[in-house]
Amino acid sequence: MTPATPPRARDTQLPGRREGRAADRWAGLVEGWLKGHTYLVYAFLYLPIIIVVVFAFNDTNRRVTTWDGASTKWFGVALADGVVHKALFNSFVVALPNAILATTFGTMAALGLQRVGRKMRTTFDALTYTSIIVPEIVIALSTLVLFATAFGVIEAVFGIKLNFGHMTIIIAHVLFNTSLVLLLVRARLSGMDRTLVEASSDLFATPWRTFRQITFPMLLPAIVAGFLLAFTFSFDDYVITTFVSGPGSSTLPLFIFGQIKRGVTPETNAVATMILAFTLGMLLIGQLVLIWQSRRQGRKGGGDMASIIAER
Amino acid sequence: MAERDLSEYLARISRSKVNRRSFLATAGLLGGSAALAACTNGGATTAPTGGATAAPTNGGATPPPAGDIESELFVYNWSDYISPTNMDAFKEEFGVTNFVYDTFANNEELLAKLQGGASGYDIACPTAEYVPAMVEEGFLTKLDMSRIPNYGLINDTFKGQWWDPNNEYLIPKDYGTTGVLWRKSLLPKVPESWQDFYDMVRNEASGKTVFVDSMGDVFVFPLKMLGYSLNSNEQSELEEARQILLDCAPHILALDSDTYGDKLASGESSICLGWTGPLGQELGDLVSAGDAGYTVPTEGTLYWMDAWVMLADAPHPNASYAWLDFIQRPEVQGEETNYNLYATPNDAAKAFVDPEILANEAIFPPDDVIADLEGAEDTSGNNQRIDIWEEFKSKIGG
Amino acid sequence: MTPTRPIAAGPSRAARFRSALLTTALIAPAGLWYLFLLIAPLAIVFIFSFGVRARNGGYEPAFVLDNYVRALERPDPFITSLVMASAGAIGCLLVGLPLAYYIATRAGSRKSLLILLLVVPFWTSFLIRTYSWMIILGPDNGLAGWIGGFLGDEQFRILGTPFAVLIGLVYGYLPLMVFPLYVTLERMDRTLIEASKDLGAARWATFRQVTLPIALPGLVTGTILVFIPMMGEYVIPQILGYGRTYLMGNALVTDFLEARNWPSGSARAMGLILIMFITVSFYLWFVNRGRKVREVSVL
Repeated sequence: MTPATPPRARDTQLPGRREGRAADRWAGLVEGWLKGHTYLVYAFLYLPIIIVVVFAFNDTNRRVTTWDGASTKWFGVALADGVVHKALFNSFVVALPNAILATTFGTMAALGLQRVGRKMRTTFDALTYTSIIVPEIVIALSTLVLFATAFGVIEAVFGIKLNFGHMTIIIAHVLFNTSLVLLLVRARLSGMDRTLVEASSDLFATPWRTFRQITFPMLLPAIVAGFLLAFTFSFDDYVITTFVSGPGSSTLPLFIFGQIKRGVTPETNAVATMILAFTLGMLLIGQLVLIWQSRRQGRKGGGDMASIIAER
Repeated sequence: MAERDLSEYLARISRSKVNRRSFLATAGLLGGSAALAACTNGGATTAPTGGATAAPTNGGATPPPAGDIESELFVYNWSDYISPTNMDAFKEEFGVTNFVYDTFANNEELLAKLQGGASGYDIACPTAEYVPAMVEEGFLTKLDMSRIPNYGLINDTFKGQWWDPNNEYLIPKDYGTTGVLWRKSLLPKVPESWQDFYDMVRNEASGKTVFVDSMGDVFVFPLKMLGYSLNSNEQSELEEARQILLDCAPHILALDSDTYGDKLASGESSICLGWTGPLGQELGDLVSAGDAGYTVPTEGTLYWMDAWVMLADAPHPNASYAWLDFIQRPEVQGEETNYNLYATPNDAAKAFVDPEILANEAIFPPDDVIADLEGAEDTSGNNQRIDIWEEFKSKIGG
Repeated sequence: MTPTRPIAAGPSRAARFRSALLTTALIAPAGLWYLFLLIAPLAIVFIFSFGVRARNGGYEPAFVLDNYVRALERPDPFITSLVMASAGAIGCLLVGLPLAYYIATRAGSRKSLLILLLVVPFWTSFLIRTYSWMIILGPDNGLAGWIGGFLGDEQFRILGTPFAVLIGLVYGYLPLMVFPLYVTLERMDRTLIEASKDLGAARWATFRQVTLPIALPGLVTGTILVFIPMMGEYVIPQILGYGRTYLMGNALVTDFLEARNWPSGSARAMGLILIMFITVSFYLWFVNRGRKVREVSVL
């Protein structure tokens, strides 16, 4: 520390204090490392994706792992292939309701669990973790047996014949995804700042109002994260879906895994590329809209959905 | 239903698996009849073999008498196993507008699904050795062969086999063998026997060997080399096989049923225990150049057969029969062979098969080779085999 | 409320009833799902584990302990899985924690975008992503080829080794680690950090005594969400591991699909579930002991 620098307010005797410039350099290093690490991770995440996209233009006639020159023909194949359309459609029909249900049930349960006694809470925790512990193939087969037996009983008693299809897949997926959302929301809730909530009720706000204006915005990142994960898992699931699906309800993963025997073609890559293009495109548009919107409203540096919602 | 009756009923069901199967099948029939009645007005044409009487009952499922062909057909099959040309032709001719083609990745999935109680499909295409199990569990409908006249075109060698001695349940689809695939330029010589294979795996091809991930096929190698039946359940014989497998384990690069053709083509592997599929695809160029090929080992090997079956509670039996007959028409079956590159058991169809494929001995083995082939049995219940298989899998790569 | 009632009195009976009703309504849907789609199937597995293999595979009612005995005789896959899953969880932690920290505290307005970008790759197919890793890590034009050329080792390979499986595992399960960490770190009050710095604490001390305790619930959730499913994984070892790494997931597939011995597979699964359950309970107890978690309702 140079003599010309006046003593700073932070100049106390607490342990671990570092000298000024050294602290800045250290801070700079850490910041740099954090940023670099983040970039590396995204590169790691998207490297295979880039390969997927590149190989969608593969001119080969069969297998997707040998490069034979560039061509867009597989996009044409994918666009004309009714089976792929149906599979994609099925994937959405299953993933979206499942995500909505799982997010709703999980959030509700997370909130409700704060109000119950310790025994009930521990039981619920045990169930939540068990649902994650059971290996997929085991839950897939046992759920299949359960459905089959249940269908038989229902038919015998009520004469209604139920079938395997979208409903059975959604029902089966909701189990794991509810646990996922539940865990995420509870992690967020735990240790959350209660003072705002207490202040709110001290001011005689109704519980619903407190929830809507204080709690819900604070939980929103966890709820959105849960929804995204639930959708993703359902969309990409293979094992459970294989065993509880029925005729005509094959999802995209089922179609793709089925192709293994004869060789996965670049058609799959083309489909994946189109899905990517669509979602990234939507993201881009969303970001642009938010920026444009916040500029219009004169807010500085806006564009963060969560902060906009929170400010509302 | 009174509560007491219901619980008694449930107890009865859970006590016996066979009862549950037939119960579900009968239940399926009730539902199926309702669906059939609803479908009859669906604008479908009548079946060409109309007028046949109902087939006798098997483990519960009686197909309704021949009538109008439904407008839907639900097929559960290997991926890409039916030529699209044939599918379209069938749809057009019989007015089956909704041809649902779902795929499974392997027999085990199909069986597990059926065993768990899944239903809803009309036609499936398992490998023949699993058919007896399916029959016993009541998963299949007994076929009325009079409704499938083209069945007569199939070579008698493939009928009356142990998996369907009275020809009641399956229609042969195609067949093939398990053998050795090789890269000539990477090996001292072209392997001709399992003994050659065994020697090369541990020497020149060490670290470059791939086995398919299929228990039944892998066991063929040691058992046949030792001169035993590939379906052996003898403890001492299996123990000897175990030794051979464990000898090979450290030299194996991968256990892979799907990309072994790629590995062979790229040179990552020089020898494989597998099937003929890759010959027409990844290895196509190398085969033409004479650098890659397929051997049916001299000690003999297994032949597998894929078969069409009709499931017990098939919702669209008339369309199913129409399909089973249609697929055996010579020109249709010929087109199938040209598309799949697997041998057809239908003699009349050979006239429509690409002569190059017909001449390919890997796909259509000559008669003297066929004599050495043993049909595979379902040995999955043998605990000793399973234990050996697990031990082998754990020791791969050393 | 009558005027004579003191203001500080507790809720009326009606209010208590309404409150209980609300609580029940909140946990009912999840509860029902657990009852019918977790407990019921598990009961089936439990019953099956005492049965015998039907002649053609599947389950035949019986009551024997043979399956459990046999499961104990074949412990290898379990041990291998423990090692791989631990390595995978640690890998996810090392990769995911700094990432979650960065997004939660440094990314500002781009938080949501970065989080979304984290899951978008998983909307492509799992299989072709894994195949892409085969190309990337491959021996000729891939990473293994380059590294091998650099080291002068022609036989250098990544695919087929446990390391390739590890990469695949970390890649596939990263979001499950990052999301819980993110949602806990994101609500961290920045003023706490600033206060800590104002009081002169070093970065590391701040991290250890302020950030880490707050992130702990997320960390615990993340490690569990990652470790547990890795124990049951089987596709990645098959494809990237060339089938050379035999994990619990593979073992269950062998039992249920290849041997079609549902009782044997059920016994192994029950064993796995039990051990995992005990492990998770112990882990949670260990982490949460001494932490006063005051569960006051926010609703």
